[in-house]
Parts: sequence; C-alpha cells; structure tokens
Amino acid sequence: MKGTLRLVSIGGGLVLWHALAVWVIDDSVLLVSPLVVVAKGYEMLFVTADLYPHLFASWWIFFYGMILAALVGVPVGFLMALSPLVRDYMAPWMTALYTTPRIAFAPVILLWFGIDIGSKIIIVFLGCVFPILINSFYGMRVVSREFVEVGRSFRLSEGRLFVKILLPASVPFILAGLRLAVGRGLTGVAIAEWFGATEGLGHLIFFAGQTLNMPILFVGVAVFGILGILGFQILKIIEDLATPWKKGLEAN
Amino acid sequence: MQQRGLRRGLLSILGGLILWEVLTRLLLENELLIPPPTSVARSLWKLSFAGELNRHLYATLFEFTCGFSTACAVGIFLGYLMGRYPWFDELMDPWIATLYSIPVIAFVPLIIIWFGIGLFSKIVVVFKITAVAIMLNTAAGIKNIDPVWLELSRSMRLSPWETTAKIRLPAALPYIITGMRLGVGRALLGVIVAELMAANEGLGYLLRDASETWDSPKLFVTVVLLAAMGMGSFSLIKKGEQRLAPWRESAEW
Repeated sequence: MKGTLRLVSIGGGLVLWHALAVWVIDDSVLLVSPLVVVAKGYEMLFVTADLYPHLFASWWIFFYGMILAALVGVPVGFLMALSPLVRDYMAPWMTALYTTPRIAFAPVILLWFGIDIGSKIIIVFLGCVFPILINSFYGMRVVSREFVEVGRSFRLSEGRLFVKILLPASVPFILAGLRLAVGRGLTGVAIAEWFGATEGLGHLIFFAGQTLNMPILFVGVAVFGILGILGFQILKIIEDLATPWKKGLEAN
Repeated sequence: MQQRGLRRGLLSILGGLILWEVLTRLLLENELLIPPPTSVARSLWKLSFAGELNRHLYATLFEFTCGFSTACAVGIFLGYLMGRYPWFDELMDPWIATLYSIPVIAFVPLIIIWFGIGLFSKIVVVFKITAVAIMLNTAAGIKNIDPVWLELSRSMRLSPWETTAKIRLPAALPYIITGMRLGVGRALLGVIVAELMAANEGLGYLLRDASETWDSPKLFVTVVLLAAMGMGSFSLIKKGEQRLAPWRESAEW
C-alpha cells in the first residue's frame, strides 16, 4: 500500500509533466517532456559522453572543498568548544560569515584569487565549513558529563581524555555535519562554476539557460539532484558504520 | 558569563576592524583588492545619499517579503495536510524530497526563463525555497504531536476546527519556526543569485554592477549590507524560536 501510492505519485506526476509539455505548452523553449530529458541524459552519458568532463570538473572542486572544510571546520569547532576565550572572540565573525548569503563573497573571492580552480574550491569551502564546524562544536559540547567523569575517575590525562572520550563521542555529530555540508557544497559548486568557468555542471546549467536549451538544462538539474541524494545516502551509510552503537540505541 | 562573552565579542569586532584598516592602509595600499573600512563606510554614506542604495534595498526586501509570506501560508497549509493525511504525504513526498535535494541555484535559470527577469521571478525563487522547507517541517510537527494532547481535546469535546486551531497548529509551531529559519538563509541566497543573473535592481544587481566596474568599496558595501540582512533575519527568527520553543536548545549560530 505504502509503496503503491508513492509509485502512483511519481508515475502520475511524470505523465502530467509529459502531457503539460506536449499538449498544453508545446514549446520546447519553455518545457520539454521527461522523455526528452531522459533521452538527452542517455545521449550525454553513453553516446556523446560529453557529460563526463563537466562531472569531473565539478567533482574535484567539490572534493577539495569538502576536504578543506573538514580539515578546518573540525579543529576550529573543537577549539571553540573547549576554550571559552577562543569562542568569545571568534563567535561574532563566525556569525557574520555564516549568516551572510555566500554568493556575496563570490565576487570578492574572485577578485582576490582569480578565476582559477583555487577560488572555486574556496567558494565550496565557505559553504561546507560551517555545518561541519558547528556540528563539531556541538558534538564536543554535549558529550555526556558522565563519560567525562568516568574518564576523570580513571585519572586520564587531558590528552587521553580527548582521544578516548571526547573525540569518539563527537564523531556522530561530525558525520552529521558532513552530511549537511553535501547539499551546501553542491550549491557552492554551482555558484563557483557560474563565475567564469568553462566546464562543470554549474556552467552546463547556466549555459543551457542562456541558450534556452531546455533538455540540457533539465539534465543538469537532474544530475545535481541525483548527486545530492547520493551524497546524502552515502554519508548516512558511513554514519551508521562508524557509529554502530547509535543503531542499538535507536532500536531500544 | 553572558556579559563577558558580549564584551569580548565587541572587542573582537573592533579589533578586527582596526587591524583591517591599519593593514590595508600601511601594507596593501590597494583599494581595488581590499578597501579599508573607512572607505567602505564613505561609499555606503555616498550611495545611501544618492538614493541608489534605497532603491536596491527595497527591491530585494520586497521580493523577499512577498515570497516569504506566501511561502509561509502555502507551506503551513500543505504541510498540515501532509501531516494529517498519510495518503497526501505519500503523494507529495517523492516530489518534495526531490525538490528539496536539488541545489537552489540550479533552479534559478529555469525560473528566470519561465517567469522573466522582473520582480516576479525572484518572488517565485524565494517562494519555492522557503515553501519546501516549511512544508517538510510543518508535516513533521503535525505528525509528532503528543497523543495525550489529542486525548485532552477529545475529552474537552473540541470540534475538529478547534482541535486544529488550538492543539495541532500550536504544537507544530516550533517546527514551523525551524522550517522558517532553514528557509531564510537559502531564500536570501536564492534571491541574490536570481538578481545577479538577470535583474535591473536589487542588492544582487548591485553586487554584479560593483564587481563588473571594479568598484571595490561599493562591492564591500553590498557585502556588508547582505551580511546585515542575513544576520538580521536570522536573529529575528532565532528570537521567535526561543520564545515559542524555549525548551529547545536553539542554535547559537
């Protein structure tokens, strides 16, 4: 029952979309049928294979941006959680950077770093770093007092306490932060590639938009959607693997 | 404790600004790359006097408010239906989930083709982004309602309408606010992107204009204004969240 309604919804939506595109609008500049989109996607993947350069270009920007964000976000988040001094001095700048729409920084970053891959990575980095940082911060803050007290009563040194208790306890939070960062990172990729890029998925979408090429535009949007869902699911699996105790807790 | 944090925060901002000013004046001396804060302030003053700034600011605020308020109304309504009726939830869910997982930016070219380059397309961008976030959260709030409250409403013999108005919606309110908070940031991003791509007014347009004419002070003015808008809307919603759901440890950022 549950599955059927879902299928009906997807099927019905697609049929509606097709009907709207073919009989109501009937203008390939405004809307194309999902069949055309699938055909175009198939062609770009397996016939002409011209989707791959864009995919790889975007992938590397995304990958480096995420790695950089994790390398910076996790330690800074920990530092802010463990030291009130660092926290108080950093907080206003973090708030400002976090709440400003990221696109505002894009022209500034381009001005400083040029239109190389470096500035694109930084734009992705800016998007990803905050969810990671904030989650690391909270992970470290909400470690159960009992765990810390157990560590204290075993006379763990500060360093051992960190490695044995604080770090493992905050792993689920860091992974959740990474998962949240995927979506923001993809948005970052799109923003970055829109400014002065010659390839990449973002470039593909904007170019298709400007040349009113609907099939390619929809393929680009769909690829972004698929990547978003895929990244989210993969990190979810990693999360379950890395924190097996959480699953037991949920089952209880 | 709170006071000390505030004092340090102010100190940090002030120190940062002074450092920025000194470094740019002494070391870089290149207004194009990083203008010192004072010339940003001067540019802000000049632009706001010319009335140019107000026009752009109003345009962006107008687009944002229109889109956001319609999104709240529609999002809460549909979210309520999704929370109440499982069949409706299943009908909507695949499409909502897909819409939610595609980056905002990817939709902007499409929306501009469909709705033109005027105010309306930006309102649609804000609407799309916010409505989805609010819908998902409202549905979760309605679903997670404590059954005890529903029993209470039954023993008080509340009519279905009263149950909705007095029990279900208030119970979902914290969730709805969270949806709004999630929507605000993304919607602001969306509207700026849409303005950057195709518009003749608004802060996004100003951003593009400034970066294309290499007017760095103006560029930084826009960045500062956008930061102010982001922080303002964020802290407003956070205040609302703290009032409506004080039991939740709300995000510090």
